Amino acid sequence: MHRMAGPILTALALLGSGCATLQPPQPWEKGQLARPEMQFDPDPLGARIQQHIYASKEAATGGYGVGGGGCGCN
Amino acid sequence: MLPAVAMAQTAPDTGILQLKYLDYRDWQPGADRMSVRSPAFYVLKPLSDTLAVEGALVYDSMSGASPLYFNTLSGASGVGITEYRTAGDVKVTRYLDGAAVGVGAAVSSERDYLSRAFSLDARISTADRNRTYAFGFGGAADVINSVNGVAENERRNTLDFLVGVTQALSANAILQSNLTYSSGHGYYSDPYKPLDHRPDQRRIFAWLTRYNQHLPDTDATLRLSYRYLHDSFGSTSNALEVAWFQPLPDGWSAAPDVRYYTQSAAYFYFNPPFPSGSVPGQFYTADTRLSAFGAFTLGVAVAKSLPDAWSASVKFEFYRQRSDWRPGGGSPGIDPLSARWIEFGIAKAF
Repeated sequence: MHRMAGPILTALALLGSGCATLQPPQPWEKGQLARPEMQFDPDPLGARIQQHIYASKEAATGGYGVGGGGCGCN
Repeated sequence: MLPAVAMAQTAPDTGILQLKYLDYRDWQPGADRMSVRSPAFYVLKPLSDTLAVEGALVYDSMSGASPLYFNTLSGASGVGITEYRTAGDVKVTRYLDGAAVGVGAAVSSERDYLSRAFSLDARISTADRNRTYAFGFGGAADVINSVNGVAENERRNTLDFLVGVTQALSANAILQSNLTYSSGHGYYSDPYKPLDHRPDQRRIFAWLTRYNQHLPDTDATLRLSYRYLHDSFGSTSNALEVAWFQPLPDGWSAAPDVRYYTQSAAYFYFNPPFPSGSVPGQFYTADTRLSAFGAFTLGVAVAKSLPDAWSASVKFEFYRQRSDWRPGGGSPGIDPLSARWIEFGIAKAF
């Protein structure tokens, strides 16, 4: 696969889902955005566990934050 | 890894306490490889209207034949290993008007590996609070002392940089895109793998984009995540995750998820049979984690809200790695690798 095929496919998927229409919410319209499942890290401990598992099995590590430190697993 | 938090420009008004227990196992055809049991703990506590502290502790107990291929510890004797890891991190965040500044520290300790890390991050929001810019800077200092004496007091130092933006697109959609760059120097070889010899510099560029869409008709939330990552070891990877969060009656929820991942091989990875391709003095690895492959994860999380702001959850994930799941083909001669993990959790808001 071409190196940029993945990003392009993702961009197309996002466009197809309707996010291309930008209608920033008013302050009184943010109730849904405040729900836990609308946060990007609603489960911080689960995210740590999952990233650690993937880092121990795959070459790629990182991208989710800074200063996490290393481990002997990779 | 300390997560880069999305939009929060005001201090949280409730604390969170989370306990998890992980049961992990992986295997290859005809051979159990490794099992891990891991209790973990997380707390977030607001200290005032403008200050919050959060921290996590994880304890991993690993047993079995450790990672993949020609490992002197798993060895021909078939004797397994038991290894422990204790990791903790703490972060303090100060909330200002439309901005937040965080300072964090992390440590991870194993018998043969010690990592100490710090982080600084800042988030600044626009006046309407619909867009947040994030900037992060972090570093880690690692020391490796392998039990077989191959690596004695070897060091690895890393600096991380992050810039990102989070945008509320509508009342039901939010998008985040982060770029991270990591530059490390030091010892990257695997001291337990014979002939393993890797570059002493590693630079990683990652682009992470996440998108959450709430769907009012079903009250569900679609969660998409894509990470592109390029590593100076020569490996490029793509990870796409899709999750569907579905609230159900009586405080229940279910969230199935699927993840697809591919990577190309590091330029110094050589296919079996070991040690073909090895030339003294040149970079070489037979570590299959640096080979080319594709992987799928399928999972589901089920959660239930309980009285007094308690909640309970269980998550089951199944993972499989195969070289022929990479478009264009992966590295030959490697058995598929499977893993499954179950995560039990309880949490309380306070």
